[in-house]
Amino acid sequence: MNSLLMRYRSVLVLIVVLTVVTMLIRANTVWLDTSVVIAIYSLIALSVGISYGQAGILSVAQAAFASVGAYATAIVTARYDLPAAVGLVLALLLPPLIAYPLARLVTRLNALSLAIATLVFGQAFDIILREGGDFTGGYIGLSGIPPLPFASGLLQFHFVAWGAVLIVAVLLSNLIDSPFGRATNTLRSDTLRAVADGVNVPHVRSAILAFSASVAGLGGWLYAHHIAYIGPDSLGPSVSLSVLLMAVVGGAQTVLGPIIGAALLTLLFKFIPSQEVQGMFYGGALIAVLVLTPNGLMGLRTVIGRWMKSSATKRERATANVATGVSAARRAS
Amino acid sequence: MSIEVEKIDVRFGGVTALQDVGLTLQRGEVLAVIGPNGSGKSTLFNAITGFVDIASGSVAVDGKDMAGIPAASRIASGISRTFQTPRINPAATVEDSVLCGFHPHARISFWEGLLRPPAMSRTEAELRRRRTRVLEQLDLLGFAEQQMGELPMGIVRMVDIARAMAAEPNYLLLDEPAAGLSKTEQNVLIQQVRQLAKQGVGVLLVEHNFGLIRRLADRVIVLDRGKVLLRGTADEVSKRPEFVTAYLGTSVQ
Ligand SMILES: Nc1ncnc2c1ncn2[C@@H]1O[C@H](COP(=O)(O)OP(=O)(O)OP(=O)(O)O)[C@@H](O)[C@H]1O
Ligand SMILES: [Mg+2]
Repeated sequence: MNSLLMRYRSVLVLIVVLTVVTMLIRANTVWLDTSVVIAIYSLIALSVGISYGQAGILSVAQAAFASVGAYATAIVTARYDLPAAVGLVLALLLPPLIAYPLARLVTRLNALSLAIATLVFGQAFDIILREGGDFTGGYIGLSGIPPLPFASGLLQFHFVAWGAVLIVAVLLSNLIDSPFGRATNTLRSDTLRAVADGVNVPHVRSAILAFSASVAGLGGWLYAHHIAYIGPDSLGPSVSLSVLLMAVVGGAQTVLGPIIGAALLTLLFKFIPSQEVQGMFYGGALIAVLVLTPNGLMGLRTVIGRWMKSSATKRERATANVATGVSAARRAS
Repeated sequence: MSIEVEKIDVRFGGVTALQDVGLTLQRGEVLAVIGPNGSGKSTLFNAITGFVDIASGSVAVDGKDMAGIPAASRIASGISRTFQTPRINPAATVEDSVLCGFHPHARISFWEGLLRPPAMSRTEAELRRRRTRVLEQLDLLGFAEQQMGELPMGIVRMVDIARAMAAEPNYLLLDEPAAGLSKTEQNVLIQQVRQLAKQGVGVLLVEHNFGLIRRLADRVIVLDRGKVLLRGTADEVSKRPEFVTAYLGTSVQ
């Protein structure tokens, strides 16, 4: 029971916060829209948390995986009038079907070559989209993507989007607290150590990237049906970098970190619309977080914890000194 | 059932680290490898476990040729090893580190990790019980919740050994396990290695401390500059003049 609480504590925190926020903003369309955007970015940032935070795979193609999901659902729903559920299946399956072989081909023991492979994939996918003619809509993109039939209102969409985030949070919490997650954790800090534990490193790394690609694809699916439009610039390389920042700022190794990062930076965008100022805040926020707490905002817990512990020991020492002083005085008298 | 190493060569660029080295490690015996620094002891471990490629010769485990079998699969099939410099994640706790050693026995599938079926919870509970036992055997229970980075080298080495033991291997390769251990810790180690050998585990041991070797090893192989210089029991080997010049000679320098 206790371990159950431990495993899902992030999910519980998320549920509580979501309940409060939903009650506050449920009648406000502007805020509901922001909330949906945050949920979508949370999913893509969580995909970074999975690949980078858990396995140390620096993937700069997470938005491209999301874009695969968005385009897949856009093409089948807008072009072929198929239900959005078909789009969802494709959005969940296609990105990992690209990611797993990509990782498997490239990764033997070296994480850097995989990072470069994701960069190449992101660029190649960008070219394919732009040169894809009618199929992808070329530079113009695809519009007229239908809304989700079961979530046509903004409030329903808010629930669907955050429901997706919650499901991913549960799955990720499961994974972290499993043998597979422990193996992933080991290979992030030391590949040879993982090999010596008997871990099939290329498989674990590829499976994690595949999972993260699927989560990104889910974000892309929501994106397409929320905005009703997808183009080559919607979820382009710059978004890959933004979600990387979100995950790192919030704390990539934790479940809540990427979500916090997504919320924070999306709100920052909202209140600071000018591009240059945005960039400054962005860079400033990143540097501040990395200097103050290298594990992101979620890392603050340990920083604060350590600080409280050290001041507590100082206090104890002070009391101990007083006590020895008293007994010394007594002995002297 | 044994590990058979036959005439292996290992080269790093121009350096020949091992040349024509052969050995047999039976299950249930303790075989010590000694030799001066750079004589190829760790490289021999790496060659057996598949961490380095051999240029020629062969390694077979229980009659099965290991050529082309990746290191992780060799570990998973029952050969555990430690490293001369323990490889640790300083942020991990002792208990979590040892839990990682159960990997070959754990349910490792990605899907089970993700969906956590009830069967997995049972396996996890069982692994945690077995972990407590291993920690107990190595006298480490008191450190269970401490972080690896906070511990002295002796304890870190013992945790590394616990991690290797957790896999319940048929063969255990220990690279200088006693370096930095206190007398008490050494005694715990010796007792454990004896116990494992009695249970039928083949132990290959790199060790500089000859006193410890006398107490533990059934047989000794002396390496010198990548070649086998001597074989025999600890007593036999220690009386040979080559041993004194090659081994003691260099280590005294
Ligand atoms: N990965 C490597 N790349 C290049 N050379 C290596 C590598 N590993 C070992 N060597 C070389 O192979 C030789 C044997 O090294 P090895 O580490 O096996 O010796 P050792 O007997 O374990 O020494 P020590 O007692 O210092 O641990 C040395 O000359 C060493 O420099
Ligand atoms: Mg060595």
